[in-house]
Amino acid sequence: MAKKTARRNVSKAKESNGKLTVKDRKTLKSIGGLAEGVNKAAFRGRDPHLEIPSRSLSNVRYNKSKRFIEMGRGKNRRELFNLSQAKSYMQTVLVGNGCRQLINAGKTTSIRGLYYLLKHTIEGTREETFDEQKDCDPIIEDVEVMLSALREELHLYAKNAGAMVGPITLVDSGDEIDCSRMGSGGYSIPSIAEPEVVQFKRHSAKFVLHVEKDTVWRRFNEDKFWQEHDCILTHGGGQPPRGVRRLLHRLHHELKLPVYCLLDNDPWGYYIYSVIKQGSINLAYESKRMAIPAARYMGMRSKDYERCGLSSSVTIGLNDNDVKRAKQIAGYPWFANKKAWQKEIALMLQNGFKLEVEALINKGISYVTQEYVPARLDDRDFLD
Amino acid sequence: MDRDTDRNTEGKGVPGLSPKVTKGKRSRKKENGQPGVAKSGGRRRRNTAQSMAAQQRNISVSEFFAKNRHLLGFDNPRKALLTTVKEAVDNSLDACEEAGIVPEIWVRIECAKGKRYTVAIQDNGPGIVKRQVPLIFGKLLYGSKFHRLRMSRGQQGIGISAAGMYGKLTTGKPVKITTKISVRKPAHYYEVEIDTKHNVPEIHNGRGEGVDIPPGEKGRAYMKRHGIEWVSHYAAPEGQTPKELRSGTRVTIELEAKFLRGRGSVDEYLQQTAIANPHVTLHYVDPEGQDRTYERSTTELPVEPKEIKPHPYGVELGHLVTMLKDSKAVTLSQFMTTSFSRVSAAVARRICEAANLTTRASTRKIGRDEADALYQAIQQTRISNPATDCISPIGEDLLLKGLHHVVPGEFYAAATRPPAVYRGNPFQIEVALAYGGGNSVEKVTHEVLVELLGHSDARTLRQFLVNTFDGIGADSADRIIKSSGFGSRQSPARMDPADINRLLDAMQNVTLSEKQSMQIMRYANRVPLQFQAAGCAITQGVISTNWRSYGLSQSRGGMPSGPVTVMVHMASVWVPFTSESKEAVAAYPEIEKELRLALQAVGRKLGMYLRRRKRVKQEGERRSIFLRYLGEVATAVTEINGGDRQDLYEQLLKVAKRKTAEADTNLDSRGRAVAESEEDYGRNVLVVEQRPEDLLAGLPKTDDEQKQLF
Repeated sequence: MAKKTARRNVSKAKESNGKLTVKDRKTLKSIGGLAEGVNKAAFRGRDPHLEIPSRSLSNVRYNKSKRFIEMGRGKNRRELFNLSQAKSYMQTVLVGNGCRQLINAGKTTSIRGLYYLLKHTIEGTREETFDEQKDCDPIIEDVEVMLSALREELHLYAKNAGAMVGPITLVDSGDEIDCSRMGSGGYSIPSIAEPEVVQFKRHSAKFVLHVEKDTVWRRFNEDKFWQEHDCILTHGGGQPPRGVRRLLHRLHHELKLPVYCLLDNDPWGYYIYSVIKQGSINLAYESKRMAIPAARYMGMRSKDYERCGLSSSVTIGLNDNDVKRAKQIAGYPWFANKKAWQKEIALMLQNGFKLEVEALINKGISYVTQEYVPARLDDRDFLD
Repeated sequence: MDRDTDRNTEGKGVPGLSPKVTKGKRSRKKENGQPGVAKSGGRRRRNTAQSMAAQQRNISVSEFFAKNRHLLGFDNPRKALLTTVKEAVDNSLDACEEAGIVPEIWVRIECAKGKRYTVAIQDNGPGIVKRQVPLIFGKLLYGSKFHRLRMSRGQQGIGISAAGMYGKLTTGKPVKITTKISVRKPAHYYEVEIDTKHNVPEIHNGRGEGVDIPPGEKGRAYMKRHGIEWVSHYAAPEGQTPKELRSGTRVTIELEAKFLRGRGSVDEYLQQTAIANPHVTLHYVDPEGQDRTYERSTTELPVEPKEIKPHPYGVELGHLVTMLKDSKAVTLSQFMTTSFSRVSAAVARRICEAANLTTRASTRKIGRDEADALYQAIQQTRISNPATDCISPIGEDLLLKGLHHVVPGEFYAAATRPPAVYRGNPFQIEVALAYGGGNSVEKVTHEVLVELLGHSDARTLRQFLVNTFDGIGADSADRIIKSSGFGSRQSPARMDPADINRLLDAMQNVTLSEKQSMQIMRYANRVPLQFQAAGCAITQGVISTNWRSYGLSQSRGGMPSGPVTVMVHMASVWVPFTSESKEAVAAYPEIEKELRLALQAVGRKLGMYLRRRKRVKQEGERRSIFLRYLGEVATAVTEINGGDRQDLYEQLLKVAKRKTAEADTNLDSRGRAVAESEEDYGRNVLVVEQRPEDLLAGLPKTDDEQKQLF
């Protein structure tokens, strides 16, 4: 098995056939530890179990000095001999074994690929090891936190989502890419944006503008906003995946570029901002590699309805779920002490509607690129 | 049928009454004599007190019931048939038990021409003396049971004569009675009909005297000649000489009726009667000629109930006054102690004190006010409950036997409450419960199924399922067929092994018991109650019991569901029916309470059984879940660390076994570690292990080795 075809490979060491990188060895060792635990327990006649750090709101802590979400020490016990946990126990061990296979073969696959790799009918039954990918994904995250290995260390990646353009040149898996010459589609941000894969070469940008989704991003790209304002333009297709967040994090920390976010004025948009800035609850263990505490919220703002004189027909009424979610977000510790944010959310609730960035097109096709964002950049009316 | 009836009533029953003519004449007369009276509805005064008085006359009971026959259970042809059979069978059973004879009853229903049916019921009872025959069958409200306080099936003395009256009204045919009181004495044969107008019997044969049939061979020849039916010998196994009936009564009624099966049918009545009367053998030939016999499961007669005097609490003021008048006693104290049960001299003194009367007061001198005072005093005085030997319950043992004999199931429980009293009448509630029954389908094995299919002559699979397995209806059969994916016309004869496997799979996996709702069999003094279920205290009692805590599902205010049959028996000297047709028990608080307690008693046992069954099932499930995943875990782990898979698997298996064993013992509703004790059902529970082989035998499971009586 000498061929190495994986293009977006994690390790340069892979070039030497069958040889593993230091990181791979470390990961294999922790997977081996997982197996050894089962073995030991079984031969001692004990009940095998796994300790999995809990990935719930109750187990995250907002670190005020670092200004991002950290994972607490809470752990969930997963037992083999527990009726409700037996299956997920089995699945966890399977995922561990699947990752071991990937590492040994020196290949990477998507999480969907891993799902297919592990999916089979359990011998002697009609039951599948995994019924849907939905069953597999949280187990993968469990394995990540349990082994404290990053997803790329497990040789896994998620599908690409998100794009980037701007005056920056980078090297991705050895290929030099000039992001100012990416046409209308932009540079597709890989799901693994670690320094081993992506290195920055040169840039002339002054800031990063992150927009919520593809449609808005296209407007900015078509209007060549990034040329005029010397900025890097990114989007994350809604909730930004890890690759996008990791890249933003690196742009901010390595190139010292401020990050401004242009998101919808609704609870969903607020939470996207919160994830970029403080990290997500689910991936709290990766916050230190992803969170950008200095990111700023540019818009849409609740007051834009009046500030920009928008028509009432472009508003969308809040439903019960939105109201509930907004109140929940206002209660998060990292929002609780920010008066401006409290006012913002209160105003949205008072308005009773949400505003999408696209609503600005009602004022003119390029209103957002020619008036709205330049005005915000000038008056620096950002939310923290 | 209605036309017939009308003609009969007008023509024979009430000839003098043709209201139109008389009314017309009279009103004309009046108009002249009395002007200036109210003019509403025309100018004429309609009627005067005098003219009305001319119409006011005695109404005979028979006339009343001929018009209101629905009160007696003859509302429609179908019910008429049932009521006729029921009244006759009830009377037979009462007579046999009173005479101390183990009852054997022959019921035969035949189609006569048109919508008419001939119903013949014969018993081996004591027979009826000659002069009483016409009165018993040809006079309403004539009987022995009304005036005494004692538990019996019949109460009023209306039933059988009403059936005869109904027969006469609809077909014009008299009731035929053959009765014999001894082997040596002649039998009597009567053809009797009721004179509805006067409520007296009319005898048709033997010039109004009936016919005597000599005993022995001569008589049998006579009966044959004259077409008189009579079962003269008991059925005997082949090779043995049949025994002759020493005595008995046969009554034949021709009536307009409708024979249907299902709920509220004669079939159902006889089946339920067999359950509640395990000492009875019933032979039944239905109009289609099918012969069925419910054999008795015991030859022990129920304890003979004693007759009691009324209890003071059960007597109303009016009744008290009458009793005072009729009493031969001289003093009040004497009256109290002799006319009532449970009144001693001391109790009588206390009552009199409370009523401000002396114990020596003469009964003649007690007026209305004193009687009232006495009545109030009785209610206030504490008097012990009446003696309860006047009722004879079926008993838990026999309840179980009877139910198990007729209703297939896997679990049976019975409870007999101690006697209680409502309004001074002693009564006793008994409940028996059968669970399961539909399970024969789920438990069938491959070999048994193949054999059953081979022997079946059913044309469709559906028919095969319905006919072969107990407790599976057309609906359930359809569900099985649907889930196995066969066509609706699939023949059971042409099935290859793969098809059979498919069918077996469906039979074992389709849950049939869920949709089924609880069956209630209601009894009053051993007589099944088949109608007005909703209005009956028994049904209400079942519904208001919380069966969820006993492991059955039940929607709010509804019947619990599951393969359960509950049989409730109320025995009393006077069962409080809601109507004369004796179809529903009235809800006295005392009765409701006893019902509740009895139902809870069997419910608890059922709950225990279901919990235990669930536990066993869970145990199995738990084991299978662990086993299922152990292999995967062992494979994955040994692939990671290169160990020996089999070795690890064995180890994990060991741990699994220990863990499940621990969990099994710990599993108790309160989370306490409870050791399994096999005796905790208490008494009167029957658990039947069902074996698929039993299906082949096609017999009810009666072998003792299959039962475990706890």
